[in-house]
Amino acid sequence: MLPKRYDQARPFATLGILLLGWLLLPLVLKVFTRATFFEIQAPLVVADSYAEDLRNFWSNRLHSKDELLKAGHDLAGLFAEYSYSTQQNAELQAEILRMENLLNLPPLPAFRFEPARVARRDFSGWWQRMVIRKGSNYGIPVGAPVVFSGGVVGRVTEVHQYTAVVDLITSPTFRLAATVSGDNRPFSYQGGLNDAFKSPRGAAEFVPLDVFATRTDPRRVVTSGLGGVFPGGLTIGVISSLESSGDGLFKVGEVALDERLGSLTEVTVLVPLNPEDK
Amino acid sequence: MSRLIETHRARNPRLFLFHGIVAAVVALLVGGLAYRQLFKTILYSERERMQNQRRVIVPGPRGNIYDRDGQVLVGNRPRFSVVLDLAALREEFRAEYKAVKANYSKLAAGERPDTDQMARIARASVAQRYLDRVNFILGRNEKIRAADLRRHMDKTLLLPFVLLDDLSPEEYARLIERLPVDSPVQVYTSSVRDYPHGSAAAHALGYIGANNDPESEDFGDESLRTFKMKGTVGRSGLEEIFDDQLQGETGGAIYLVDPAGYKVPGKPLEQRLPVQGRNLVTSLDIELQEAAETAMKERTGAAVALDIRTGEVLVMVSKPDYDPLTRVPNLPPERAFEKSGVWLNRTIQGRYPPGSTFKIITAMAGLRSGAIDPATSRSLCPGYLMVGNRRFPCWNHNGHGERDVVTAIRDSCNVFFYKYGLETGPELISAEAQRFGYNHPTGIELPSEFKNPRIADPEWRRQPANWKGANLPDGVWRPGDTANIAIGQGDTLITPLQAVCMVASFARGETETKPTILHDPNRPAQHTAPIGLSPSDYNVILEGLKQCYQIGTARFARVEGLSGAAKTGTAQKKPIELAWTIAFAPLENPQIAIAIVLEGDEDVAFGGGANAAPVAKAILEAWKAKRERPPEEKVEFKVKPPPAKNLKIR
Repeated sequence: MLPKRYDQARPFATLGILLLGWLLLPLVLKVFTRATFFEIQAPLVVADSYAEDLRNFWSNRLHSKDELLKAGHDLAGLFAEYSYSTQQNAELQAEILRMENLLNLPPLPAFRFEPARVARRDFSGWWQRMVIRKGSNYGIPVGAPVVFSGGVVGRVTEVHQYTAVVDLITSPTFRLAATVSGDNRPFSYQGGLNDAFKSPRGAAEFVPLDVFATRTDPRRVVTSGLGGVFPGGLTIGVISSLESSGDGLFKVGEVALDERLGSLTEVTVLVPLNPEDK
Repeated sequence: MSRLIETHRARNPRLFLFHGIVAAVVALLVGGLAYRQLFKTILYSERERMQNQRRVIVPGPRGNIYDRDGQVLVGNRPRFSVVLDLAALREEFRAEYKAVKANYSKLAAGERPDTDQMARIARASVAQRYLDRVNFILGRNEKIRAADLRRHMDKTLLLPFVLLDDLSPEEYARLIERLPVDSPVQVYTSSVRDYPHGSAAAHALGYIGANNDPESEDFGDESLRTFKMKGTVGRSGLEEIFDDQLQGETGGAIYLVDPAGYKVPGKPLEQRLPVQGRNLVTSLDIELQEAAETAMKERTGAAVALDIRTGEVLVMVSKPDYDPLTRVPNLPPERAFEKSGVWLNRTIQGRYPPGSTFKIITAMAGLRSGAIDPATSRSLCPGYLMVGNRRFPCWNHNGHGERDVVTAIRDSCNVFFYKYGLETGPELISAEAQRFGYNHPTGIELPSEFKNPRIADPEWRRQPANWKGANLPDGVWRPGDTANIAIGQGDTLITPLQAVCMVASFARGETETKPTILHDPNRPAQHTAPIGLSPSDYNVILEGLKQCYQIGTARFARVEGLSGAAKTGTAQKKPIELAWTIAFAPLENPQIAIAIVLEGDEDVAFGGGANAAPVAKAILEAWKAKRERPPEEKVEFKVKPPPAKNLKIR
């Protein structure tokens, strides 16, 4: 029997051995373990998400009939507006197709829109990633762009059977080719370290010197469409000040992102129809 | 039995020696350690620092060069490259090396590559894997050059290894969007000179060359092993003469490295960002410059225009020119043999006899000396003048008839100027040319200006080197020489810049103009010695030039709605002829002076009026159009450069 003082150290020794074992474990096993863990955890996350939906359902049931009628009217208005927009879009798409054929241009990247419910947000890094309630069961691929009505949300980085992990636009590991709306020269947009209680922000780098933005005349930053992942023209954020980089070759600035990124419940995954567009 | 039992006495004398030796050795070691730790601390810490620190020097981008309206003439263009961080691949190199070794283990010992070769194969294989990923994203099919990788590993390990250089913006966009942020493959940005207006004003702006040893004295410890990225140095034109201002401030970083020389992950120990050099605002006007370049076409020659008030150079064209980025001459294939002349800035280095433009000087000398009286001086031009027994022709072989000074200037009558040049005398003509600065360089802020312009006169001829150099039997000045210099022929040689300075000076009613190629919006008007002509005498010459511009030999320079004065000239510089036109406008308030010289083909007549005057016209038209443009259409100064004051000339 070990002396008492060694007994007390046993948990630490065990932890150390386990850590050492984990470190020495082959990478394949680690990846497998992590994926398995995620898959086991996924039903809980999904169930929790459904439970929250149910809670919202019952809380919505508490609204009075007057409120529901008013909401119904508003919804009907919105529906009419969107119906009109859809018709316009169909006409524009037909026109684009006609022009493409006329000019013998390659077609623009086409996507299938896959709406998905946000199942979980990582509170330890709120602005960094989110889990959506659709995965490979809906054909969501790794790298697919994720958008919402305000623009870019992020990019799918992991796909599981029933869930997918989205790297948010606010994440330091997220980078894309952006342009200022109306310009076609690409620059780099990258997320940064975002505090959970502050407005989300990202960084613009390598902005051409003749692009100007001020508080009174801010510029909308959009996806360039040149990178091959995101279609062009999606809103990233707004840039309201640009300053010269240290070497004087470019400008750098901070991009203010949409405040709604913190409270999203529904997003859309753009699934490329042509595998080459991935 | 007793031998089996060893007894140890506390005081074994034999052990004393052993203990003593051990104690001495320990003391020596401890002493040595203490000595090194206590007294050699600085030396060893310095050695350690030298061993595990490396300095990287990054030259700053050069400053921009602007025209007078703020248009960028020479800027910097970002150059995107894909680079590989080799330090991040060490694990992969090791794993690949094992795999390579295992593959070759089946071969016989003699056929197997040695350790170094296998390591190189492994590194190239890993690098190629990453390049294949980039190839996939960009749709390329590039291959790693093992020799380049090896050279990089041997000499510049600390710097990123360039996989692909000079990416297009689209390729750059694809890579930043598709490569993970923490990938060993990254997009690296440097700068290259950019010429938005191509070869316009190439000779004035100059070009740069590579500098493998950029300055690094003021960053970090010079004794550290240093890796320097290539810098630039001005090799000609403004790039050369203002190199100190245009050079960026060198930046760099000091990194911690491991014993193998790889960068230790983490932030550099010390870092300073490179800073762009100071901008330069030239007096050139790119609109006028491009108008002149277009009008010059592919002909050989020079065109200069000055702001008469300030002496600022508005246009400086020298043809043929070259692409300043690639330094490839802009020459059609049939003229490729002329390459040597491509690098000559003919505006300040071209040595040309002034031809009939010199008649203005002769007229002034005659008027000032009294040899020409505007009221009475006449000559009858039959198409030639006999000087001694030599026949001196007029360009109009049929003769001009009777000409006074005004009409002689208008029609550029040689006979009139032979006659009155002889009456004035070579000394006074020469003195007059000297008053207008024809005997010294202008001192413009450009390198390699022609240092020894000359005015041929008796004194110059007397020097043996000059008459012997001209294959003359003696140094005697003859009347025929005077006749020659009176019409700008002979041994007088000037540059187009000197000619335009003379025009600007005359237009102001003064004698000298100091040209500058730097713009200063607050530059005061120049004032030099007065021209020394009575107003009536001055107006006589002016009238001649005005008529020349309107209906005379320079009428092809005339711009509708713009008053002006001009003079053409055709000079012989065997075996070619030179076409000259000098002009200024507007007549009532002179603002722009122009000098054009074009070199003709061998043994082909080449008149100034027909060839050079249209170039002057193109410049005047562009100047007029710009002047008449409503203010709101004028080009705004997009990037405000600092004032070009106190610039040091190299």
